[in-house]
Amino acid sequence: MPDLDAIKAYRRDVRDAVAVCTLDDLVLLYHHRSGQTHMVISPVPEILERMTDGAELTAAQMHDRLAQDFDLGPREEAVEEIGAHLDALVALGLVRPA
Amino acid sequence: MKHAITLRIGPATFRIGSAWPQPIAELARLYAAYPDILGAIADFTVRLQPASRLRRYVRPSIFITGDHGLADAAPMSLAHGLLAAEMGMNLQMALGWRRHLLLHASSVEKDGRALVMTGESGSGKSTLAALLGERGWRLMGDEFALLDLDSGAILPFPRLVSLKNRAIDVVAQEVGETRMGPLLRATAKGDIRHMIPRADAIARMGHGAMPALLLFPRFGHDPAMRAVGRGEIFMRLTQASTNYVALGEPAFAALTRFVTGVPARAIDFPSGDAAIEMVDRLWEEHL
Repeated sequence: MPDLDAIKAYRRDVRDAVAVCTLDDLVLLYHHRSGQTHMVISPVPEILERMTDGAELTAAQMHDRLAQDFDLGPREEAVEEIGAHLDALVALGLVRPA
Repeated sequence: MKHAITLRIGPATFRIGSAWPQPIAELARLYAAYPDILGAIADFTVRLQPASRLRRYVRPSIFITGDHGLADAAPMSLAHGLLAAEMGMNLQMALGWRRHLLLHASSVEKDGRALVMTGESGSGKSTLAALLGERGWRLMGDEFALLDLDSGAILPFPRLVSLKNRAIDVVAQEVGETRMGPLLRATAKGDIRHMIPRADAIARMGHGAMPALLLFPRFGHDPAMRAVGRGEIFMRLTQASTNYVALGEPAFAALTRFVTGVPARAIDFPSGDAAIEMVDRLWEEHL
């Protein structure tokens, strides 16, 4: 297991691609590589969308990308929450440490 | 094995072998109207064999096995041999079928469109399908609905309808004794009796239909109807499928297409008549 606390930056690889289906306020992600289906809600789909270019980015950089479209509230709390989401996505195998 | 029969139900062919003659004779009577496929290559083998050598003769006890088996399946009394054969066929389908997405659901067809009903054992989905099958609908199946991965159609699997406890008399009154199997008393699921589908359901078991309505029936409550969120529908259908994971992305595509394209309702009902009235009304609204 990677030491999640140590992750500073994240990225998505082409191998992490998912098929997406939106059902009302839920989003289904079919992960080709693992064959697993994930049910996620906001902000997970928004985070993944902003990583499709494959660029490495930190939780703070993700915050800035999201903040262009959403009001995220106090920056420090939002960055921490985004970091937790990114770590959870690493654990699921949908995102990898850069 | 000493006694055997080959049966085709919908797209699946089963060869059922038994150490005793009775279960095979009962199957031969109840499946007499199904197509004669002597010598066909079976998709699955089901074996009803003695739980031990002694148990062939003394308090005969059946162990169900086949291509796919459950190691801890409890042996059954020979008096329940027909049920053992049906359970054996269901087990093979549930564990081994890969050609369609298998949904634990009943289905009926009218006007070329399919109504699919899914729910736990005891929800009334089998009874409702059996009753609808006598009242202007074509029974497609009481246990498994097969979702075609390419076309999105529901394909029939019209095996004998398995009726439990209170449902037995309700349906027997409707269809008459000649289409009912023997009463199997005090099985693990209570009293069970099988019903032979109508001739048209058997004759058209190769014909699928596009799904037009999905219901989550619940027997034993005051009449009520409510919408079900699509996320919940998806989750319940994946739980109702034994091969969703095994089929991979084609199953994801087929199931999301089903969930986004087919309207769904949960219905509670106190009796078969009440349910049929609700189903007919919903069907009118959605077509």
